[in-house]
Amino acid sequence: MMSVGGLLKRFARTLAIVAMVVAGSTVLIRFAPGYLSDAREMDARYGDAARAELAAESARSASLTQMLSTEFGGWTRGDLGVSRQYDVPVAELILPRLAVTGGLLLRAIVYAWTLALCAALVTSAGRNPALLWQTPSALLLAVPTAAMATLCMLSDRGGPVLVMTLLVAARDFKFLDRMLRKAWRDPHLLQARAQGLNPLRLLLAHILPGIASQLLALATLSMVTALSALVPVEVIFSVPGLGQLAWNAAMNRDLPVLLAVTTIMAIAVTVAGMPADRAGEWQGA
Amino acid sequence: MRSRIAALWLLCALVAMAIAVLALPGRSYSSQDREQPLAGASAQHPAGTDGLGRDRMVRVAAAFLLSLTGAILASAATTLAAAGVGTLSAFGPAMLGRLAMLVCDVFLALPWLFLLMMVRSALPLTTSPAHSAAVSFLVLAALGWPACARAVYRGAQELRNADWMLQARAGGLRGSQIVRHVLPNLKPLLTPQFLICIPAFIIAEANLGALGMGIGEPLPSWGGMLLELDNSAMLLRTAWVYLPIGLLILILLLLEAIAVEV
Repeated sequence: MMSVGGLLKRFARTLAIVAMVVAGSTVLIRFAPGYLSDAREMDARYGDAARAELAAESARSASLTQMLSTEFGGWTRGDLGVSRQYDVPVAELILPRLAVTGGLLLRAIVYAWTLALCAALVTSAGRNPALLWQTPSALLLAVPTAAMATLCMLSDRGGPVLVMTLLVAARDFKFLDRMLRKAWRDPHLLQARAQGLNPLRLLLAHILPGIASQLLALATLSMVTALSALVPVEVIFSVPGLGQLAWNAAMNRDLPVLLAVTTIMAIAVTVAGMPADRAGEWQGA
Repeated sequence: MRSRIAALWLLCALVAMAIAVLALPGRSYSSQDREQPLAGASAQHPAGTDGLGRDRMVRVAAAFLLSLTGAILASAATTLAAAGVGTLSAFGPAMLGRLAMLVCDVFLALPWLFLLMMVRSALPLTTSPAHSAAVSFLVLAALGWPACARAVYRGAQELRNADWMLQARAGGLRGSQIVRHVLPNLKPLLTPQFLICIPAFIIAEANLGALGMGIGEPLPSWGGMLLELDNSAMLLRTAWVYLPIGLLILILLLLEAIAVEV
């Protein structure tokens, strides 16, 4: 059982990571070679005076210290800045989309875990790696998400939930199968099976508690996988979620929106990783 | 082991074929046949042409070589960076190790695609196609090292506490001499990391390209060619549009097969 001190330490580490994400992203954007260029400068309708004003506006926002204090100050007050593209507060753009993306992620992860766990339970109990399950998993992992989503659109079968479910399930299955296969081979479990103990009881009483920390770590990895697939899936299926908002922002160089969405994603991943017993275990999985 | 060797040979054969296709006289990935846009297979264009009349086979060959070369270089850079950070963190002061792992956590907390999009969108508007290709793979290399560094750090820590290492340090071995012994021992850890990163980088580049944020035209890329699948007029006229996605999946499966058995 984790002590209060340990919990506080973990919470402080999470806060530090989020703060470093905000600071790092801000520094990255500020020093990117195209930070001071504006798409409007290429618009022939703008005259010299307007261009000079745009350049002056860019120069005013060039101070890194000012940018960092604005970002941190804004986040503490709940003000995420103003969208360059839509000229509305970023929070207004993000809040309605959070529910859409959250629902999509939740459904995809739940379905994927159910599918992967069932498949892994079946295959891991066998003697040899089952090609019947492993081949589709390898094939799904070899298809870029954007291509999978486009092919689903073309065939008029499936939607965003299916694509994300298949992708997350394929990745989870790969790890779950290996994890369970290794667990079943432990000497005490082999002996228990040889003595004729009920496999279901063994699974519930010995295997699942034994790999609980690894399962939590894998859950974080599922979150990262799902978030990485979010943008192509939402863009191709026209889902009005955070992924689509981030893509629109990236295409239109709306950096305040992009920074806010990236930070939200980082918070989601960091918070999802908190329950895992050891923070780095999911990488080792 | 046998399937790994077969996959390696097949990949080498594909590379040789791609080089042969590009080496044919008069073939360029950007030259247009304006008489035959969206054409089907013919003697002149064995896999047809795209919407701008460019030979699809030449473009696929060029995209394959470009993405494979870029991914291999990015993967090598990532592995080297991870080896450096992981080894220094494990053998340096404890504070340095903790700080390095905190930085790794920060990078790992950020989903790749969002960070990639952020960096790509902050590039100058006039970035050339060659620069966009270099930047795409450079960014992939810059973002790929933390996961690998964490694994190397753990491996290097085990080595640091090994009996032979304690004896070597107690015997007065210098830092440079220790590193000379540590790196070969980390090879079983670094080789799979290097091989795993190659298909991961190819997929990331394809996804970025399919979102219109990858390698700029007229340079061919997997992502750019996957965009053709959105063109329903093209899909109705020729099935060769599916060649890039089919070949990409085959290449990724071969790379996975090579990586998985190391």
